This record gives sequence, C-alpha cells and structure tokens, in this order.
Amino acid sequence: MKSLVLVLCGILFMSLGCSKDRNFDERELHLISPEKISGFDPIHVSDMYSGNESGKVYEGLFEFHPLKRPYELMPNLAESLPTVSEDGLTYTFKIKKGVLFHDSPAFPNGKGRELKSEDVLYSIKRLADPKLQAKGWWVLDDRIAGLNEWKEKNAALDASNYAEEIEGLKKIDDHTFAIKLKKPFPQFLYALAMPYTFIVAKEAVEHFGKEFLNHPVGTGPFILPVFEQTNRIVYTKNPTFREKFYPSEGEEGDDKLGLLADAGKKIPLVDKIIVDIIVEAQPKWLSFQKAKADLFEIPKDFFDSAVVGGKELAPDLKSKGIRLFANAQLDTTFFAFNNDDMLFKTNKKLRQAISLSWNREEANKLFYNSSAVQAQSVIPPGLGGYRKEFKNPYVKYDLEQAKKLLAEAGYPGGKGLPAITIQTRNETVARQIIEHFAKNLEKIGVTIKVGMNTWPELVNKVTKRQHQMYTMAWGADYPDAENFLGLLYCPNSSPGSNGSNYCNPEFDALYKAATILQDSPERTAMYEKMNEMVAMENPWVFGFHRTKFYLSQAWLKNYKFMEFNHSQFQYLSVDLEVKKELSKKF
Amino acid sequence: MTKYIIRRLLYMIPVLLGVSLIIFVLFNVVSGDPTAVLLGKNATARQMADLREQLGLNKSLFSQYLDIVKSAFTFDFGYSWATKQEISQMIWQGAYPSLCLSIPAFVISTVVSLLISVFVAYYRGKGIDLFVRVCCIAGMSISALAYILFFQWFFAYKLGWFEISGFEEGFPNFISYIALPAIIWIVLSIGPDVRFFRTVILDEIYQDYVRTARSKGLSEITILLHHVLRNAMIPIITYVVIQIPSLILGALLLENFFSIPGLGGMTLNALNSSDFPVMKAMAIISSVGYIIFGLISDILYTVADPRIKFK
Repeated sequence: MKSLVLVLCGILFMSLGCSKDRNFDERELHLISPEKISGFDPIHVSDMYSGNESGKVYEGLFEFHPLKRPYELMPNLAESLPTVSEDGLTYTFKIKKGVLFHDSPAFPNGKGRELKSEDVLYSIKRLADPKLQAKGWWVLDDRIAGLNEWKEKNAALDASNYAEEIEGLKKIDDHTFAIKLKKPFPQFLYALAMPYTFIVAKEAVEHFGKEFLNHPVGTGPFILPVFEQTNRIVYTKNPTFREKFYPSEGEEGDDKLGLLADAGKKIPLVDKIIVDIIVEAQPKWLSFQKAKADLFEIPKDFFDSAVVGGKELAPDLKSKGIRLFANAQLDTTFFAFNNDDMLFKTNKKLRQAISLSWNREEANKLFYNSSAVQAQSVIPPGLGGYRKEFKNPYVKYDLEQAKKLLAEAGYPGGKGLPAITIQTRNETVARQIIEHFAKNLEKIGVTIKVGMNTWPELVNKVTKRQHQMYTMAWGADYPDAENFLGLLYCPNSSPGSNGSNYCNPEFDALYKAATILQDSPERTAMYEKMNEMVAMENPWVFGFHRTKFYLSQAWLKNYKFMEFNHSQFQYLSVDLEVKKELSKKF
Repeated sequence: MTKYIIRRLLYMIPVLLGVSLIIFVLFNVVSGDPTAVLLGKNATARQMADLREQLGLNKSLFSQYLDIVKSAFTFDFGYSWATKQEISQMIWQGAYPSLCLSIPAFVISTVVSLLISVFVAYYRGKGIDLFVRVCCIAGMSISALAYILFFQWFFAYKLGWFEISGFEEGFPNFISYIALPAIIWIVLSIGPDVRFFRTVILDEIYQDYVRTARSKGLSEITILLHHVLRNAMIPIITYVVIQIPSLILGALLLENFFSIPGLGGMTLNALNSSDFPVMKAMAIISSVGYIIFGLISDILYTVADPRIKFK
C-alpha cells in the first residue's frame, strides 16, 4: 500500500510544473480553433473553422488580398485574372507554372508533381460528383454548361465517369483551360476563392479513398501528412512551396501600422503552425493569458475582463503588449417571421408593430457590449447595396406607434392575437435574447414563447415550415450582397435558404435581373432598392451586424482582420525577439 | 457457473434486439430529417433528396431496422455521416484519451472513498464522522462546473502546476494533461461514493453477527475489515461495476473544458450534427457494456459471498 501511494505521488509530482517550454528558435504560430474540424476534403468544408484549416494546405485559383479593403480578389494559383468572352459566359484561365503538390505516397516515388489544368477541372467535377454529395455544390449548381447534366447522368452509375468531357469544362493545354457558364454569374470568381473549389490531386483522392479527408495533399504553404481527430493540429512549412511573396500594397494606413514591413518577403513567414482546438471559453482565455495562443477571439463572458468601457484594452493586458482589434463582421442577425403563416403573411402592420417594440439599444448593451450595429435591413455595412444614411422607420423603439399599428392590424392591446413561438437554438445567449424580446413585446400585449431546439431540430422545423418565427444569424460566404438578398428570394423558400418564405414578385424580378450583372453602379442601385424594399416590408425583425473582438500578442505581426481568412495565415509572422522579451511577463 | 454465463450471454440477444428497436424508433422515426444539417446552410431540396437516397433513409423502415440490428451484432457501424470517418476507428481513437482520464480517476476515487468510508464507520457518531459527512454534502452541493472553473483557473493558470487544456498521447506525456481533470473527477466522486459506502457499511455494522463477533472479543478493526466490509461488498460491487461502461463513454464536461479528444466530445458533436450512425454506435456500445458489466458484477458476487450460487 505504501509503495502504491509513493508511485501515485511520484506520478503526480512528475506532472507538476511540467508545462511545456516556449520555443524561441522557430517561428511558431499558435492559434486556437473553437470548434472541431470536420476533415480536410475541400468539397465538404462548409464551416469557417474547417475552411481555415484547409486553407493552410490547399489553395484555390484566387484568394482575397490580405490587406486591401473592400475585399479584393487576387490571383493565387491562377496566373492572372481570366479573360472573359464578350457574352460574359466563357472564362479562360491560365494557371501558374511550376506549382507542386505536397510530397505524398500517392505520387510515384512519393514526390509531388506539378499542378496542371486537369487538376482544376477534376476538382470542379468532384464538387458535382453525385456519389460525394458535396456540401459546396450549391456554389456551382446550375452554373457551368453541362455540369448538372453530368451529375444527373452519373447518379445512375455505380461510379462517376470523370473521363467524360463536359461542355463547360475544357482543357486547352497543361496550364490553360476554359469554363463556360450557362448564364452570367458575376460571383463566379468569388466561388473560385472559396475552400469548396480548392484544388486536389486525383492521385491523392484515389490513393487514400475514403481516408482522403484525413490525408490532405494540396499545393498550399503548409503540410499536414495525416490529420487525426485530436485536439491539436501541427502544420509545418511546405519545403516545395513556390515563390510567393508578401504584398507590397495595402489599404491606406497599413504602412503606419507596420503591415507592409514584410513586403516582398517570401511566404510563408512562419515555420510551423500549431492549432489547439479548445471549445470552452475559460480554457481559451487562460491559454491566451499564458501566451499559449498568439491570436484570440474574445468570448462574450470575458469581454469585461479584456475590454474596459467597451473600447479600451484592460491595463494588465496592455502592459504585456497585447493588442485589441475590433472588427465589424459581414453578418446580420434576425428574427424571421414565417410568411407562410397567414398570421404574418397578410398582416404587414403586425410585423411592423413587433419590430417597433424591440428595444435594440438595450439588447445591444446586454448581449453585444454595445459594439454591434443595428441592422436597418438585410445587407451589412461593407457590401454594395448598404447605404449608411438609410434608416428603417421600423427599426426603432417606439411603443406608441407599435400599439397603434397593432390595433390597425386587428389586435388592439394584443387582444385576439395568439401567443407566438420563436424557435431558436439550444444556447444560453440565444434564449436570453428571445427572453429580452418577449419582455419588450409584453408591453404592447404580445405574448412570445421560446422554442428551444438542438441545431438539427431547428433546421428541420425551418425547412419543413413548422415554425411561426425563428432566430438566426447569416454570415457572408463571399463579399457580395447577393449572398444576403438571396435569403428573401421566393424560389429559395424552405427547404432553401429563405426560411421566412417571403415572396414579393417585385423583389424577385429585381433580384433576378441584378444577380446576372457584373459589379457596377447600376447593380449597386438595384441592391439598394431591394434592401430598402424589404426594410419597409419587415419579413424579418432586423437585429444586428455584430463586431468581433480579437486580441493578439505583441509578437504577432501582419495581423489584420479578414472575413474570408482561409489563406491569411501564410502572411502572419512572429517576432522572436519580442516574444522572448515579453514572455517573461506571462 | 459456465451454464449461467452462457445463458446470460444468450439473454443479450433479446436485449440487443430491444435496444436496436428503441434506437431505431428514436433515430429513424422520432428524429427529423438529418440531411439539412449534414448539407449545411445552402442545401437545396434536390440535394437533400439525393442525400436521403444515398444514406438509405428512403429504404423501408423494416430494412432500416435490420441495418441497426446487423450493426448491433457485428459491431460494424460503418462511416460517420458528418466526418466521413470509419466509426470503429473514431471510437478507437476517442477511447484512449477517455480511458486515460477515467480509469485512474475512477480507481483512485473508489479506493479513496472506500478507505474514508471504513475510517468514518470506525469512528461513527464521533466528530470526525460528522465532519466528513458535512464535507461530503457540501462538496456535492457545489456544481461540477464550479469545481472545473475554479480548479482550472487556480491550479493550472494561477499556480501553473498543470496544463490548462489539451492532450498528448503516450506515457508519461498525458499525465500533465489528465492530472487536473482526474483530480476534479476524484473530488466530485468522493462525496456521493463515501455517503453510499458509509451507509452500506453501517447497515452491516448493526447486524447480529457483528455483535456476536464483538462478544467473542474480536477487535473493532478486525470486525470491520474482515467481516463487515466483506458482507457489504455486494451492493458496493454493484455500485462500482455498473459505473464502468460509463467510463468508456467519457466525461463530457471534463473532456470539453480540458480539450481531451475523448468519446464524450465525439458523442456531443454527433448529436449536434445529426450524425445518426455515431449516435447509434455509442448507444449500442453502452448497452452492450451495461449487459457485460452487469454479468461481471453477478459473477463477482460469488467471490464476495460464497453462499451465492448461480442457477
């Protein structure tokens, strides 16, 4: 017994104080992912966090400029922007020469081969492969000539026939190919910057089979030979990465912020990236404070510990050289009415009365530390179609007008109006927001009930139209307002993304016309019109455009918030001298 | 005894059929359509229909039930819908970290609780007994979350004795990661364990045979360790052994807060992503675990009390 106790004590003491030492010899970037990674097959990468991981090993034809705002596309694997035919349907691309896939047992002798046109066409076909049911299919659904037909035909076969030629996908030579669209698709190049269209090698897909998602073989700046579902992912610099350099241009002021100090340097700028998957807020916060993470998104529960007065960094963090970044997100939160429900469909005044009863200023203070922007309509600031000066007359707290409109809607003082259930996700903050909303609506006599659901249950209720109202947030997939306006386009009604089942022929006609136009003042004007049209109709109770707060360690260089940050990490750097010096303070 | 074991193992067949039926009703009849969640926010109706077809959700209900029965008996759970990984491999990967945490924590907490229980039973009614009982009740009254948050902040962050979170494979690497969650597990378990073990031991202490032993002049400690404890073992064995299957399932809160990539987190992820095959696999494994460990606890009764015979 005595020896057993001694052994146990020995083991315990072995663990005491054995925290890992910091590495000052290599440029290591330490990051935190707040969610589990669903794998590395680009066609299935639909969440932001998995996209961030895929972007370290895979690349697309285009990427967003790490510094320029508004977001600007720049060629990545593509040599330059494509040439587009006069009818706007055929895009001819040239890809860079000498780009190598990572070394992998999938290739002869284990040496990665050069990227060719076929790889791009193969990767696009994979997205359409009916056997794979790619999450990203929606970006190219009904866009490329012959691709839907190929998908249809192969659904009946045991295995998809990749050798079959497709009208819209033509190889011209090893480094040139053309893609023909069915109809104009101005967001097409954005689609080619998304993780879904990252380029994979056929040999790797075939070699690893069902395990392909755990063996990423891309052309990206970092390598990860095997992905295991552990809570740490370690990437190392790709030794065969092509000559790619840090940009020498940015937004005004970037130079002063030191964001151009590495201009012209070969990237990636770090030797290793270590990503720890930490789901809970406290361990994330403590890890950052122990300098075990270089970049950190402040969770709501720790906002007051990190930020004083809603704006200033807490003095203890400031003394360690930590920096605060407040970044407006391209997102919109909302309470959607099910416009299929006769209660709301024919009663615009009821929708408007409900919108006027919500004290958004108080909600902003309670739930977003007064950092969010009140949404006037569906499009967030930063995208064409948003007009700062436009104020939605129903996005304000006016109980008198709300009562008046409620009476005109046929429910004076809420009499005769049944209780309305709002469906939401089983999360504390979501429930609290609805409870705040309900408390506000009580004042005009409207009773709100909360329907708590797991995420799958909520999605099911919305797709099957079994809801009266539901609450959600929508984040941009790409920087184009079309991505938001589509949420109110009638043909996208449930089970599509228009969960409010809002239908307005005038809006639909404008949407159809605008979404085939290239970015132009004419298109922006149409977006503005649609945005302001739905603001008056109130198919949703518009909520907020949120702000994300990040903290970065003093030694992290070149960080600038990016909404579409899949490829951002290759541009980040670590100042080892500063790290060595400041680490003593942690 | 062999006949008894074979018979009990054969009982597993109807139990597994019943479990399969319950799992089938829960996931295939009561639960909604998983395709919308699996395909993400931009899923189209056509894509959802295609995926339903591909996942076999359009097959007859009987045929879907047979698939579950088959996986319950063959332990071939197929592939995860969400991560596309082989489920048996996912379980194997997750079981290691879960067991690294749960086995030492469970063994230590059980042994320590038993020792404390014998100690307070020896001093029953005295101040130390009262003190331990008060500590147990006070300890049980505080939520597990409070222990986790405080211990993590104080011992890992403030004192820096342990890693804040994470996990590394291989001995002794994992010790610095699992030590703190294991200590929390032990602290959380000691309260209810001691209360249960103490009650069971005290039940025995007032039996006639104990009085007889005392009147024969045996020392109190000999009576406690050689007679009382042995007779108290049956409920203790049941209590301890039946907890073992839950060790495999992992400790959800601890795994989440300490970023241990175990089975608890895997099951929670499956729940959030409508990953029915993983949820079914975990339900089947836990059922089989409970059946097997129920049988083991029955067998252990004969060790604790030779009067027990299997019929």
